[in-house]
Amino acid sequence: MGNIVLEVKDFSFKYRQTKRKALKNVSFQVEEGSFLCVIGANGSGKSTLCNALVGLIPHYFVGKMSGEIKVNGINVAESTIANLSSEIGLVFQNPFNQLSYTAGTVAEELAYGLGNRGVPREEMVEKVKYVAELMRIDHIIHKNPLELSGGQVQRVAFGSTFIMEPKILVLDECTTQLDPLGSEEIFDIVKKLNSKGITVIMVDHEMERVARCADQIMVLDAGEIIAIDEPKKIFGNPEIVKHHIGVPDYVKITQALREKGYTDCDIEVTEEPTIELVKEALGS
Amino acid sequence: MSKVSNSFVPKHTVIEELNPMTKILAVFSLGLGTLIFPNSWLGLFVIVGLFGAAAAAKLFKEFVKIMFGFGIPITVMLIFIQGCYSPKNVTFIADLGFARLGLEGILYALKIISTLLVFLGTFYIMNKTTYTGKLVAALTNSGLPPKAGYLVLASLNVVPQMQRRMSIIQEAQSARGVETAGGMLARIKAYIPLLGPVVMSSLTDAQERGMTLETRGFGITGVKQTTYVEVKKSGLDKVLNILLILFFVVVLLITVLMKMNIL
Repeated sequence: MGNIVLEVKDFSFKYRQTKRKALKNVSFQVEEGSFLCVIGANGSGKSTLCNALVGLIPHYFVGKMSGEIKVNGINVAESTIANLSSEIGLVFQNPFNQLSYTAGTVAEELAYGLGNRGVPREEMVEKVKYVAELMRIDHIIHKNPLELSGGQVQRVAFGSTFIMEPKILVLDECTTQLDPLGSEEIFDIVKKLNSKGITVIMVDHEMERVARCADQIMVLDAGEIIAIDEPKKIFGNPEIVKHHIGVPDYVKITQALREKGYTDCDIEVTEEPTIELVKEALGS
Repeated sequence: MSKVSNSFVPKHTVIEELNPMTKILAVFSLGLGTLIFPNSWLGLFVIVGLFGAAAAAKLFKEFVKIMFGFGIPITVMLIFIQGCYSPKNVTFIADLGFARLGLEGILYALKIISTLLVFLGTFYIMNKTTYTGKLVAALTNSGLPPKAGYLVLASLNVVPQMQRRMSIIQEAQSARGVETAGGMLARIKAYIPLLGPVVMSSLTDAQERGMTLETRGFGITGVKQTTYVEVKKSGLDKVLNILLILFFVVVLLITVLMKMNIL
């Protein structure tokens, strides 16, 4: 078992203006370098969980809270959001609200967080160049962030979080403004970062992608953890659809092959093994 | 989409390359020097110099427009008021029938006008030749608290953001059949219902932006903030700083000597 970088113990939260709890007795741990996907229907508590992990709850959102969240041993409730930013970074759903609105160019926007940390300018310039190339926004680096398209702003928003090199990256449906190709590019980058040891916690509705990327999947429903397990076990559980969760098409294909007696293998959740399974089935 | 409400357009001139602190020093040194000087002559000389500076900054046409656009009406108005009705008037140079034109009042009006024009002119050149990000970076480097720097930049940028929001809501409303085009009255009618959503959504945005800033390290304690925008202090800046300080000191000395009737 690897190092535990995130520990959530019996955490509950109720917003001041709502009657029911947004999160109920949530407990889980995340290992260093792992990729955890959080899935669930709208209103299941996914964004609340993201906000709690980076300290926006309890520091920004007012409500009734119990339990504890520790990021690399730091109690989130006892630290400041700004100080936590070197440990954990969040990419928001709405990229336009991720902009600082102090920058006249994309380069300045990317560098904003580094400036807050006092990073010397020379180092800042190098990092901005690297991240701009990685996010494929190097051609718009001198443009005003307010003049960009939604997809471009989303790339800038992602880059401006990633540039701060947090040990844990929390992505809350961060590709909503991107076209399918753009989304895939971002997830390739996320996977690359994850392979370099950055822990990723991602909220997403695209189940094929979730199945492909995640080491573990957490299913949330009405603020409660329904299940937390490997993708095959989560999507292989027929009960999962009761929680308004769709399953990847590959799962449906393998299930159909099993039902029709073409195979007795376990279900597959990703493309390549499913193709192999279909080839075998057709061969037989 | 709207642009940032920074009126700066890069023209790569010597004045543009100056450190913003030098330009701020020029605004105060020239402005205050003109203000304390007992007559309007110094102000008039400075204004002539400012036209030269505007030409060097490739701003001559706009500068002429703003100086004359503001200067002519204010001159007419102040000369009339001060010239005819100033209690300082002792020497009368013309009789207008309804009032007599006093020399002291006219000179006082010229003093006020020249001071106003010096402040306006220096500030205009500074504003047009300085990128806001560079100005704030220079101020922060000079000891301005980062939170105050943020306030300056965010205040400038919030206007285009609200304009953008307004056009989105306007489009949404016109898509649902609300009349948003036409005559002045129709436009006013169309804009009133936009105000509520624009203000409310701006407040929500402000809250989310606050969250964003903190997640990006805004307010980390014990760290001296740095900026991506490079702020240099050239040899010319140093020379100009000395000259501007010297200008103010000399003006102050001459003023004191003149007040003591030594000069």
